[in-house]
Amino acid sequence: MDAQALYALRDVAGIPTHPVVFLILGVATFALHIAAVQIMLGASGLTIWGALSGDAHKRRLAQSMVMVTKFMLSVAILIGVAPLLFVQVTYDPFWYTSNVLSAWWVIGFILILTVASLLWFWFNARNYKLGESKKTSCPGSAILSVILLLVVGFIMHVLTNQMLSPEKWMEWYAPGGVLDTSGRTLHEYNLPRFLFFIVMSVPVIGAVLVGYRRFYLPRLGDESLNMSREYLDWTGRLGQKMISIGGVLTVVMGIWWMATLPEKVAGFAYSPWAIISLLALLGFAAFARWVNAGRMDSLWAYAVLGVGAVAGIVVAIAREILRWDILMGVHNYNAMEYPVNMDWYSTILFFATFLIVGGGALAYMITVAWKAGQTKGVYTPGPVISRMGDIAIALIALWIIQYFAIGFYVWLS
Amino acid sequence: MDLIGLYPTWYEPGIGSGWVVGLIATIHVLFSHTSVGAALFFMALATIAYRQNRPELLDFIKKYGLFLLVFSYILGSITGPGIWYSTTVASPRGISSLIHSFVWKWATEWVFFVIEVVGVYLVTYLVGKVDQKTHLKLTIILGLASYTTMMIILGILSFMMWPGKEEWFTEGGYLLGFYGDNTFAQLAMRTAFMFAITAVVGSIVTSGFKDQAFRAQMNRWLAVMGIVSTIIGAALFGWYLETLPEYAHLIMENRLQAWFEPSIYAILAGILAYFVFMLITPRMITTAVASLATVAILVFGLWPVETARESIRKPFVSGQYVYSNQVIARDVPGMGIKSEMPILEEHGWLKTHAFIPDELRTVTPQNAARVGEALAITMCSNCHSLSETGIRPMKNYLGGVTDIPAIKTYLLAALATGNTMYMPKIPMKDEEAEALAVYLATLTDKTVAERYAKEKSALAQAASVEE
Repeated sequence: MDAQALYALRDVAGIPTHPVVFLILGVATFALHIAAVQIMLGASGLTIWGALSGDAHKRRLAQSMVMVTKFMLSVAILIGVAPLLFVQVTYDPFWYTSNVLSAWWVIGFILILTVASLLWFWFNARNYKLGESKKTSCPGSAILSVILLLVVGFIMHVLTNQMLSPEKWMEWYAPGGVLDTSGRTLHEYNLPRFLFFIVMSVPVIGAVLVGYRRFYLPRLGDESLNMSREYLDWTGRLGQKMISIGGVLTVVMGIWWMATLPEKVAGFAYSPWAIISLLALLGFAAFARWVNAGRMDSLWAYAVLGVGAVAGIVVAIAREILRWDILMGVHNYNAMEYPVNMDWYSTILFFATFLIVGGGALAYMITVAWKAGQTKGVYTPGPVISRMGDIAIALIALWIIQYFAIGFYVWLS
Repeated sequence: MDLIGLYPTWYEPGIGSGWVVGLIATIHVLFSHTSVGAALFFMALATIAYRQNRPELLDFIKKYGLFLLVFSYILGSITGPGIWYSTTVASPRGISSLIHSFVWKWATEWVFFVIEVVGVYLVTYLVGKVDQKTHLKLTIILGLASYTTMMIILGILSFMMWPGKEEWFTEGGYLLGFYGDNTFAQLAMRTAFMFAITAVVGSIVTSGFKDQAFRAQMNRWLAVMGIVSTIIGAALFGWYLETLPEYAHLIMENRLQAWFEPSIYAILAGILAYFVFMLITPRMITTAVASLATVAILVFGLWPVETARESIRKPFVSGQYVYSNQVIARDVPGMGIKSEMPILEEHGWLKTHAFIPDELRTVTPQNAARVGEALAITMCSNCHSLSETGIRPMKNYLGGVTDIPAIKTYLLAALATGNTMYMPKIPMKDEEAEALAVYLATLTDKTVAERYAKEKSALAQAASVEE
């Protein structure tokens, strides 16, 4: 598929803002999405580990992680919508073709994710007090759920991987000149690339555990939580171990991935972005060790997850640059040349909504959730946080008013 | 030579890709309407609960919220992008046209969706863990954010049918495409029916309550909400129909089955009867009865209406400029969009479609049927199944005709000129029409292709001997 054909596939309506904006948003939201996926996978692994064990600490941890998995599953699906949107904007020729060529798997993605989610919710409903009982009901449902979640992750991996091989599309669509319109085949995968993102769940959930320990320290006296100092210290040590071992494993997977790059972009393995990613991952593990040396009870414990998030963002940027190198360097597709039909109103409205309305409402909600989680009994916010709630409601109401005001004006004019 | 931007085609011979999209979309409507309606209902309930000190209402919110976490916020969250996924593989340029005009609208909806999902978790799990005022604020945030998601998506859905204002074609821009008669009529109508759906699904939740008096009271409230919203929704349905373009009415009169309109009224009457039953005998609404009513709404209410909405915008799939077969059918100067019709008229499909194998770009007697099949998959299969099953099987439209010249004449006279109502104009070169005719004839008689190849080869041989 040459560049002329790739450009012909771009949407005829153009895009409403410069492509670089969509590329940046795509990277940022992918980083958030993959972080949520990794926390979910890591938490689900710890849940199963604990649920199959008789050890009290492991079972108590499983009781927490089953909820973390449930919530992060929702968050991963929710945040995943954004990179899915942005990839269609600038990379539509590649994304749509890749999807059509494996269409049944795309539909399968929806069905399998649905079953996986229902299985986890089912397991959660049957085992919401894992720490207090010695028996686990239907552990198979949790195991099957995680297997299915890995399958949907693999489908998504294949779809993003197939995007990068336009030279093979015709061979997949019409092998030997005979059309294959069934969409039943997953054509191309890169195992180390897939494993890299999956294995990264280990250090990421390790960082979550370090933060988890610190979060519940102030509530040690709350008997309803059933958490002892010994238990929390155990989770901290476990988290640190997972960061160290998981960090090394992730780096190994990353090196394996780089070793399997197509010949034309093999040089990317030695590029600054590959090296910065490597350093970011190692830096994340090293920072966790530094916190472990006497700072686990301080606020530094939360920073471990923050540094991990930075490493994740660096990896997401490197992933995007690799995609750019392949599509631009090998296939001469320049996403930056996407025709722009500038639409200021919808562009400004989005950023205002994202930063002001979304930022305001989420800041309030997350603050309330955080504080309520750290409070024994009923949490009553002070005047500042309470005011934040009023402002959040006012901002959304204002947004609704502008929708109808502008809408009626356009409609009736 | 100019290429047109056609993607490969996913052809699903069993039920057809269109039904796959329809199934996912209809199920999503049930989940999403329930979540928005319930979020607004929670706002009202929480206000009453705190003003009148009635904590049992918060118990209802918690139970409905937990139910919604799975019903709407997992299944709804998956089927929402599921519509993208299914349309991506069934109609890539259709979804692409919406994405590229309304990406910021979808991104804005996503912001509210994030608030909504975080909100439902907090409203559900923080009952009794935060003070009343804070919980009420969280419930109001959830309700308002939830409704904005509906407000946004409705504009995009309306554009699919017809751009908001006619000026959009000449001036472009998101506002003119998004807002129009249909936007507000559809928003109003769906808002009403959304509460009716919420009331039906809510009766599944109440059926699990052990306190019978409270269960009866909640069912009565839900029933009243259902009756009022169904009656208002029925009235707004009339307004919605009035805002449809004239062409859509023509299609409704000619293409929808005669039973469609009476069946809609019968469904509305059925929904009302359910709510009246719920009002009079609130304790008779068991889990089975409520679940059955929910499935009935899905199958007999949402499915026919959503599929009819799909049908009446044909032959376009989006914005009155993208045909169902993915071709750009008209100029839209406001967006710099050029019709692909002139390219197809001049060069045909085989030379301009990037995903046609090289061996099929030139028609020969030997490959005519295969070329015809490739063309049928590209031109027709989005709306017409090429098998015995699926959407509008092509074979049924041929009436058993296997006469290749007759089929070819029809293709060139009626289709290529755009003189068939409900069908797109499909320009094609003479040899493409011939190849397509050969393939269409094989749908009735498999031996036609072989006979055609032999006859054409023999004729060619005879001609070369004469020379």
